[in-house]
Amino acid sequence: MVTIETILGHTGEHLVLLLTTLFVSICISLPLAFASLYSKRVGYVIMKFANLAQAVPSFAVVAIVVPLIGIGFYPALIAILLRALLPIIKNTYIGLSTVNASMLDYADGIGLNKWQILRYIRLPNAYPAIFAGIKFASILINSIAILTAYIGSGGLGELIFDGLVGFNNEKILAGAIPAILIALTLDVIFTAMEKKLVPDYRK
Amino acid sequence: MPSKRIFDRIDSIQLRGVTKKYEGRFAINDLTLDIEGGEMLILIGPSGSGKTTTLRMINRLIEPDSGTIHINGQDIIELEQVSLRRNIGYVIQNIGLFPHMTIAENIGLVAKLEGWDKEKISERVKYLLDFVSLPSEMFMNRYPHQLSGGQQQRVGLARALVMDPPLLLMDEPFGALDPILRKQLQEEFCIIREKLGKTIIFVTHDIEEAFKLADRIGIMDDAKLVQIGTAEELIFHPANDMVASIVDTGKKFKHLDTLRIRDLMTPLDNKYVHAASLAVDEAIDSMLAKDIELAVVSNGNEPVGIVRLPDLMRLGETSDTIGDHAVSVPSFASDELLEPSLKDLHEKGHSIAFVTDNGRISGFLFPNDVFRQLV
Amino acid sequence: MLLSDLMNVWEANSLTTRTIEHLTMFSIAIVIASIIGVSLGIYLYSRPGIAHPVLNFLNVVETIPDIPLLVLLLPIFGLGEEPTIVASILYSLLPITRNTYTGLKEVDQQYVDIAHAMGLSQRDILFRVRIPLSLPMIAGGLRIALVFTMGVVTLGGLIAAGGLGAALIAGIQLYEVGTILVAGIWTGLLAVILDGFAGSIEKKLQRRYGTW
Repeated sequence: MVTIETILGHTGEHLVLLLTTLFVSICISLPLAFASLYSKRVGYVIMKFANLAQAVPSFAVVAIVVPLIGIGFYPALIAILLRALLPIIKNTYIGLSTVNASMLDYADGIGLNKWQILRYIRLPNAYPAIFAGIKFASILINSIAILTAYIGSGGLGELIFDGLVGFNNEKILAGAIPAILIALTLDVIFTAMEKKLVPDYRK
Repeated sequence: MPSKRIFDRIDSIQLRGVTKKYEGRFAINDLTLDIEGGEMLILIGPSGSGKTTTLRMINRLIEPDSGTIHINGQDIIELEQVSLRRNIGYVIQNIGLFPHMTIAENIGLVAKLEGWDKEKISERVKYLLDFVSLPSEMFMNRYPHQLSGGQQQRVGLARALVMDPPLLLMDEPFGALDPILRKQLQEEFCIIREKLGKTIIFVTHDIEEAFKLADRIGIMDDAKLVQIGTAEELIFHPANDMVASIVDTGKKFKHLDTLRIRDLMTPLDNKYVHAASLAVDEAIDSMLAKDIELAVVSNGNEPVGIVRLPDLMRLGETSDTIGDHAVSVPSFASDELLEPSLKDLHEKGHSIAFVTDNGRISGFLFPNDVFRQLV
Repeated sequence: MLLSDLMNVWEANSLTTRTIEHLTMFSIAIVIASIIGVSLGIYLYSRPGIAHPVLNFLNVVETIPDIPLLVLLLPIFGLGEEPTIVASILYSLLPITRNTYTGLKEVDQQYVDIAHAMGLSQRDILFRVRIPLSLPMIAGGLRIALVFTMGVVTLGGLIAAGGLGAALIAGIQLYEVGTILVAGIWTGLLAVILDGFAGSIEKKLQRRYGTW
């Protein structure tokens, strides 16, 4: 018998992990993307690494973290970060760097400095890509946060894994259904935010 | 599955009251037009005048809202689209060679769909490539992106001819080429056309081109056919001011005896000049990159002759320089009188001459091209 | 770590067998997903009215986290390879179908136009012009699918499907650092190699079938 309190408790743990990781990954990714904009070499390395890391299965990343950092909430957070940072950096970088060359020329021409170009031209141009990156990362984080229960992060994954071990379908569903609902909610929220924040001319 | 041969020759094409509207605007307004079998009709007019729409209605890429089109007395709406189109060749400005097929596959595609056997297709492809002056053994297995624009346009023509259609529709086929190459291809096309003996409807916005190539010229404006007739008829009896102004720009022959070479020469771009010491294969690469088929070979500042791209390609592996293969051509000063120079060239059978200014080459004179403009 | 240690870990966990299991599930899933995805993409292209609802539905499937999807398939397929393969296929359908559909739809209009003018039938245009010119795009979709499938197949270890995921689980449960590192790095390496291989094929197709 799974009580509502159990479900809520695990959902809470799951959300804390999810939101913390999402927040940290945004805080780290955006400056890195801006930095790579002004150094071709950094940009190149980051893009290469991003493409490479995206190919590595999440389970392999989560497992390798265990002997290096241990188990629990923070190792889980770091494992998820390793997978979630790169889509945001990559998308932001692409958004910032694919600006119409004639627009940059014009900006130079009217005497905007680097910072102003970033603020008024590159950033607005990159909004849709940045949003797409964050949305993708949040859904990825939600799914890896279930897996990290295997290395002691708690959350909804714990219910699922307990259920698997004990052939307890009720427990499995108690973990799986909220996780799916969270994914769908994230999708809806980010899609709505995207519509609201991305200016009309971009649509 | 082979489609049936709908017509072996064109006796007549009749458009009657053809109208097409797009979003309330007339693309073609009540067009009536008769095309005779075997003629080359050129439609000319400003963009949006309806000339391309007219062309695309004949192979049913566009269906009219009202009116009829008959070929040899047969309403084309009753014909099956696919077989109608396989009986009509179509050549367009941006060529549209399929990038994933070799030149041979591009040309032979429809023949293959018609179920021809491999040998027959390959024979036909070779014949057509040679016909458009591309050495077949060299081009068959290349991909379109490995060809210059002029070469692609020749392949486009060869592809349109594969089923030996009695009717050719050409939509500004030379429009994207540079002036010298355009003149070369127009010249070649004049010769090809006589060999082909096909009915051709050709769209252009270049009145000189129309004068040079057309049997009759149809002038279109604002979705209507304004006037149709031979060059002389349009020049001497223009239907209105618009026709007169279009025709006027092509008229350069008012006082033949006072014309000088510079009036009718084709100015030369620096990209045509190549040093005599250049190796043949480097020259080929350079000409492909610059999309030219003719180069001036120069020794220092002095022009020693010309080389043509197909001739160079035919040489195969060689360590020669282009100086070894330069063909010398006559040279005239730009301020010389045109008439005696033309006579001279004509008698000696030259099809090209240098024009020089103070000893430096400044352009080409294509006597055949000039003759056609003067006729 | 010495080479002999590495060999010991490799053999103790029968990583050769695990790799074969892993790649077998992977290949089956990719082949089936490609067949269904490409056919579905072509079908949607011929029925544009239902393209959007179908792609939206696949989008929702894509949003479902992987482990819940796997466990939801358990009552239908039981434990093991089958639900793992089915989940991989479900994830792979979206990128393959969407790229096939978009690729077919966005072929440069000039080629379609000239093909019509040459008298190619709709069917010929589809098979001789649209599909070949969409191959780079389809390959791009397949490459994404390949990455998804590698991820899901590795998770299959959690529901007794074997493969390299099983080795990772054994390593974590018994806390054998050697096993975790060797199996983890090998799993990552295998995925990166396959992705790199797919990437080079994609580039080749772009050169061969791309437009200039």
